[in-house]
Amino acid sequence: MLTVNLKKQFKNKKTAEFLLDVSFEVSSGITVLMGASGAGKTTILRLIAGILTPDEGSINLDSTTFFDSAKNINLSIQERNVGFVFQDYALFPHLTAKQNIAYGIKDKSLKNEKAREMLALFHIEHISERTPNKMSGGEQQRVALARALASNPKIVLLDEPLSAVDVETRTKLLDEIEEARKRTNIPFIYVTHNEKEAERLERNRVILQNGRILK
Amino acid sequence: MIWDALKLSLLIVSAATIIVGVSGLAFAYLLAKFDFKGKELLDAVLTMPLVLPPTVTGYYLIILLGRNGIIGGFIYEFTGWTIVFTWQGAVIAATVVSLPLMIKAARASIESVNPNYEIASYTLGKSKIETFLRITLPLAKRGIFAGLVLSFARALGEFGATLMIAGNIPGKTQTMPLAIYEAVASGDDRRAQMLALILTAISIAAVYFTNKISRSRIYG
Repeated sequence: MLTVNLKKQFKNKKTAEFLLDVSFEVSSGITVLMGASGAGKTTILRLIAGILTPDEGSINLDSTTFFDSAKNINLSIQERNVGFVFQDYALFPHLTAKQNIAYGIKDKSLKNEKAREMLALFHIEHISERTPNKMSGGEQQRVALARALASNPKIVLLDEPLSAVDVETRTKLLDEIEEARKRTNIPFIYVTHNEKEAERLERNRVILQNGRILK
Repeated sequence: MIWDALKLSLLIVSAATIIVGVSGLAFAYLLAKFDFKGKELLDAVLTMPLVLPPTVTGYYLIILLGRNGIIGGFIYEFTGWTIVFTWQGAVIAATVVSLPLMIKAARASIESVNPNYEIASYTLGKSKIETFLRITLPLAKRGIFAGLVLSFARALGEFGATLMIAGNIPGKTQTMPLAIYEAVASGDDRRAQMLALILTAISIAAVYFTNKISRSRIYG
C-alpha cells in the first residue's frame, strides 16, 4: 500500500503561487488520478518517483519510506524502484525496442530472456529490433510499459499514457494495462483527464483540483 | 622546415584537442546540468578567449604561467622549469583559445537532449554517470563531434597567444601559422605558399567533415 501525505509550494515569477497539499492511500489495483490540467497530477507522480522533492510530509510504500521530512529520509530516484510511463513515452531513441526494455533489468544473465518475455507479453516481438522512430504510437506505448515493468518495480506510475493514441488502440491498451496490473499485483497509479478512460479502468478514483483532493 | 612545422603543429593540436575534448565535455555538462553560484561568471571567463584578441589571451597566460607568474612562479620555484618558450606552452595556448568552441557546441547539444530520457534512466535504477555515458552522450554526440572538429581547426590556426607564451623557435615552438608569418617576412614565397596550402587543405577537410556529421542522421 502506498500512503502519500505531502505539501509542496511552487513559486514562479510567471505563474501564480501554487500549493499542492494532498494525502491519500493507494492499495494494489489501479487508482485513477483525475483532474483538469494544472491541477497537479503529474507533479504528484513526480514527487512519488523522487524526481521532485516535497517541502514536507511523507511517502511510504509498504514498509519502505520513500520520503519523510520529520525523519529526514529522502530516497533517490534510483532507490525507489518505481516504474514510470511518461506521457511522451521517453523511449531512448538510439536503442531498439528490445534494448529499451532490457535497459533497466538488473540481473545481467537474465536480460535477454526477460526482455524476450516482455516482448511476447505485449505481442511486440515483431518490432524488437526497431528504434522508436519506426514504431506506431501504440507500439511505443507498449514498449514504454514493458520497459517500466521489466525492472520489477514495486509500483507503476502512468502519466496520461494514452493521450497520443487513437480511440481504438486506446481501448486495447487499457485492457493490456489492466492485464499487466493483474499479473504483477502491484499498485498502478494512472493519471488522466479523460473521463472515458477513467470509467473503463474504474477502481479507486482520486480527484484533484487546484492542488487539493476533492474525493 | 615545412615538415618540422607541420609535425609540430599536429603534435600540439592533437594534444590540445584531447585536453579540450575531455575538459570541454566536463565543463559543458557542468554548465548544462547544474545551477550553482558563479555559473554565469565561469561561463563568461571560459568564453573570454573567443572574443579577446589572442595576444591579450597570451598576455594573461604569461601573467598566470610565466616564470614570475601566479602559478608559473610556484612551478619554477619547485622544479626550475617554466612553460614559457616550450611546445607545452603552445599546447596551453591552443587549448585555451579553442576550449570555448567545444564548450558552446557540447553544452547546446547536451541541453537539447529531452530531460525525460535522463529521468527515465534514473527511474530504471541507473546512476548519473551511467545515464550520461549510455543516454546523454550518444544522443548529443553530433554536437560534441562538431565542437571537437571546430576546436581542432581553431587550435591549428592559433597564432597570437602561441607567439606570446611559446615564442617562435623553429623546430621547437614554430607551428605552421608562425612559420607562414616568418616565411612571408623573410621573402620566402614558395615556403609560405606551401604552408598556406597545407593549412587550407586541412581546414577545408575539417569544415567539410563537420558539415557531414551535422547533416547525417543518427537513427534509422
